[in-house]
Amino acid sequence: MTAPNDQHNETKKDVTFRVFRFNPQVDSKSYFDDYTIPVERGVTVLRSLNYIKEHIDASVSFRAFCQAGICGSCGMRVNGLSKLACTTQVWDVLAKSREKDIIKVEPLRNLPFIKDLIVDMDPLVDKMKQYSNWIDSTMPEASMGKKEFLISEEEFLRYDKATDCILCASCVSECSILRANKEYVSPAVLLKSYRMNVDSRDSIHEKRLAELVKDHGVWDCTHCYRCQETCVKSIPIMDAIHGIREDAIESRGVKDTSGSKHAEAFMSDIEKKGKLVEATLPIRTNGVLWTLQNLLPMAVKMIMKRRTPPPPPLVKSAKGIKIFRGMFREMTEHVKQDHKSHKK
Amino acid sequence: MKRYAYYLSCINESMTKEVDRSIDLWQKDLGIELVKLHEGTCCGGSNLDYVSPKHFALVNGRNIALAEKMGLDLIVSCNTCLMTIRTAKKKLDESPALKKEVNELLKKEGLEYRGTSEVRHLLWVLVDDVGLDTIRQKVKVPLKNYRIAPFYGCHILRPSTVLGHDNPLDPSSLDQLIDALGGQTIPYKHKNRCCGFHTLLVAEQESLNVAAEALQEAIQSKADFIVTPCPLCHTSLDGYQAKALKHAGVEASIPVFHISEMVGLALGYNAKQLGIKRHIVG
Repeated sequence: MTAPNDQHNETKKDVTFRVFRFNPQVDSKSYFDDYTIPVERGVTVLRSLNYIKEHIDASVSFRAFCQAGICGSCGMRVNGLSKLACTTQVWDVLAKSREKDIIKVEPLRNLPFIKDLIVDMDPLVDKMKQYSNWIDSTMPEASMGKKEFLISEEEFLRYDKATDCILCASCVSECSILRANKEYVSPAVLLKSYRMNVDSRDSIHEKRLAELVKDHGVWDCTHCYRCQETCVKSIPIMDAIHGIREDAIESRGVKDTSGSKHAEAFMSDIEKKGKLVEATLPIRTNGVLWTLQNLLPMAVKMIMKRRTPPPPPLVKSAKGIKIFRGMFREMTEHVKQDHKSHKK
Repeated sequence: MKRYAYYLSCINESMTKEVDRSIDLWQKDLGIELVKLHEGTCCGGSNLDYVSPKHFALVNGRNIALAEKMGLDLIVSCNTCLMTIRTAKKKLDESPALKKEVNELLKKEGLEYRGTSEVRHLLWVLVDDVGLDTIRQKVKVPLKNYRIAPFYGCHILRPSTVLGHDNPLDPSSLDQLIDALGGQTIPYKHKNRCCGFHTLLVAEQESLNVAAEALQEAIQSKADFIVTPCPLCHTSLDGYQAKALKHAGVEASIPVFHISEMVGLALGYNAKQLGIKRHIVG
């Protein structure tokens, strides 16, 4: 890292906000407007945008409310990264800015566009509904209002962090798979599903899980960790996604989705050889027919380049595999015991 | 000669054999010795951690313990193996109960996970230990005529709480290596994005879209080749390239190199020696 320079020590300076503009009702294409305003150290991107709207151009449109990182309304891309405008300090952005004293402000990605910095959150709400992301209580209606649910601290800690989500959609904007296919469930929805599924007061765990393992669901996440890295509340979103997958394998087995079969193959190969048997991984994940249809042309090229993974009998086991296998199997017994006591 | 324990990644022992082959060619030239850990096992490829978190801790606690027994740091040349083993290390270091449970089992092999060995990527060793100045001095064939797109991949950058070497928003170590080898890096927005590898067998269309975007930017920027520190990214960007670009309706191609091959070229080894001819895209 470079040492703090004089520029960073300044308390006031002119900063140019390069704001994405597009009003589909009048503009044929998008453009950027530059607004140069005096900014004091400690001012946020949102306060700067408010200043621009009040003093320079009232037509600049963005969504904002609480100004305190609570409501999640002002998600936008600041110098390319999705974050909340209200908790983002201008000085912090400038310190990493490629262009001196210029901050580029654009709408979130992966959601339908409305105007300037405003995107349509409806697809996210629709997905929350699709995956039943609410608690459907296990308490009989007659007992409601008369009885309390007692939740252990241990259970609470499992979803404590997930409840910090304010639905700002920064993770949605950064998601690699959503960028490739808008039908993908999206990280914020998975996080919420996890939070509901680990809650013992909820009665529709199985129904929600059945929806999550379908196409465009939890198994389509490609583990890029962009969601987690951008989360404005530092929520370990990938832990939630992995939590759903672990739960899916434990409660539904590995037979119903290619994702679970793919994941389980690692476990069984490590136990057998200590090494992944890559040659048969596509077949074990998707079956022979899919493999022939999808991978045959590539397999031919790979054979010509002597790039094909060795067939299972030729995959050499790791040295000392016998002792390793003993340890691995003993750990399997530990896990069985854990599951038994967990169920109790 | 600085010594390290070297983790053998499954993919480098099957599809991308050229990685270890090229490292073997030049490691002594740069004053490092990578001792192969033949007892090491598959890290779980960012899957075992949720299939069974405890097996995940055992398997990778053991991988690290093997290096600790030799008193060496563990060096990895696959991003996902790096992220996976470092994640296990973090979990073991943060949970005395888990560490105890794992060590009870490791005793059978005379091993103990203590947390004394670092788990690092080969790229970090080149930049931080060998050093850019030394690398500059050793270069025989500077890559001065090449415009190079540096594709870092995800698991050498994110989650930054586990990796922490480069700024995930603006990584620089690979750019520095390219510069030391005399090459020219191009501005490349996809440098810290995803290659789609991990869902190639589960959500193929989405993965191909992800790969195609990274390839297209490099092609449009007129890069001579893409270079990556990860054999999984290489497989997605090289092995699946024709399929991804066809899917995107693009008629072009671009070679993709491993960092080990790029270093080898600059140190004077030829494409055949380095295994570059094994790539799908010539």
